[in-house]
Amino acid sequence: MRKRSVALTLGLLLSTATAPSAHHSFTAEYDANQPVKISGVVTRVEWQNPHIWFFVDVKDDKGAVANWGFSGAPPGVLQRRGISRNALKAGDTIVVEGFRARDGSNNASGGKVTFADGRSVFTASNEDRAPK
Amino acid sequence: MPNIRPFTRRLATLIVLGLAATLGAQSKPASDIPRLANGKPDFTGMWDNPKEPGARGAATVFDKAKMAPFVPGGEALFYEPRTGDPRHDEPRAFCMPSGFPSAFLGPYPVQFIQTPQHLVMSTEFMNVTRIIPLDGRAHKTDIEPTFYGEPVGRWEGDTLVIEGRNYKRWSLDDWYYQNPKEYRMHSEAFRSIERLRRVDADTIAYEFTVDDPKIFTRPWSVQWQMKRHPEWDKVGLYEMVCNENNRCEGGKCRQ
Repeated sequence: MRKRSVALTLGLLLSTATAPSAHHSFTAEYDANQPVKISGVVTRVEWQNPHIWFFVDVKDDKGAVANWGFSGAPPGVLQRRGISRNALKAGDTIVVEGFRARDGSNNASGGKVTFADGRSVFTASNEDRAPK
Repeated sequence: MPNIRPFTRRLATLIVLGLAATLGAQSKPASDIPRLANGKPDFTGMWDNPKEPGARGAATVFDKAKMAPFVPGGEALFYEPRTGDPRHDEPRAFCMPSGFPSAFLGPYPVQFIQTPQHLVMSTEFMNVTRIIPLDGRAHKTDIEPTFYGEPVGRWEGDTLVIEGRNYKRWSLDDWYYQNPKEYRMHSEAFRSIERLRRVDADTIAYEFTVDDPKIFTRPWSVQWQMKRHPEWDKVGLYEMVCNENNRCEGGKCRQ
């Protein structure tokens, strides 16, 4: 299967182990050896418990679009950090860094979000690992 | 002590001073801590989860080095391997309870509200609340064991001792977040002993003892602390309803 060479990068980095404590196991769900970094347009934000989710359309160099889902921290954790539900909106162009789901789906933990103007928002749970 | 060399004398003096300082710190009346009208230390406030002093971020797990040896068969009871069945392997992914102490070890705020009769401990993680009577009453002997057990508090001077019994066999800590193959369980014989002492306005010395005779040869303890966060007072705890949008039920997150 031909690899997508899009704005999608699956790199191999050494794990920097920290102990996650979401309501499900980061280690079982996501692969710390598969960091992802994609850029695309936000299609939907679910600012809900137990984790926020946001979805991003990613276009490859042939013009094909794939929709990726990213899991972030619980809303309360983000609000306590001063990140409100208005921080991320449909239509925003962003770069997201995280770790891909072990099942190979287009799901990943959403570690760090960078906007087109360079502003950066960290959305991972305080317990999840942040991409370096 | 004319025969003691100056260096030895200085060393002895330092040791004596050190011991005095240590004893002084331990026995110093905690006059600068809030108290209820009945004179008991008041733990009311917003606190970070219990953890090693200086630790940050991740959920607290018990240090293997602090644990007592296993009784025969204890290790097999303690380490529960994953089986591939998500209902067994990831009960929390189905929004099942974390149990105690696990639910209170995640990196989430814990609110304490205290009256002369009760201490209420509420963690933002899944909004779990423990309502702990402080009268030292006897534990029940005729109830089904539960995920959060039956905590009962009593005072030993300024130290609040909370003994929990009647636990259902469930996860002890968040070890399985770090280890994809197994998790740590306590048995139904588990007895938890928390010792809380407010050492200053912003710190609780929090000792946790695990007594589980079906798993360990003797009780063992860890010394953690909780730090106060007055900046969280204004907002309080946020709601965390697990079933609101649980996309990862069954251990596989759906899009």
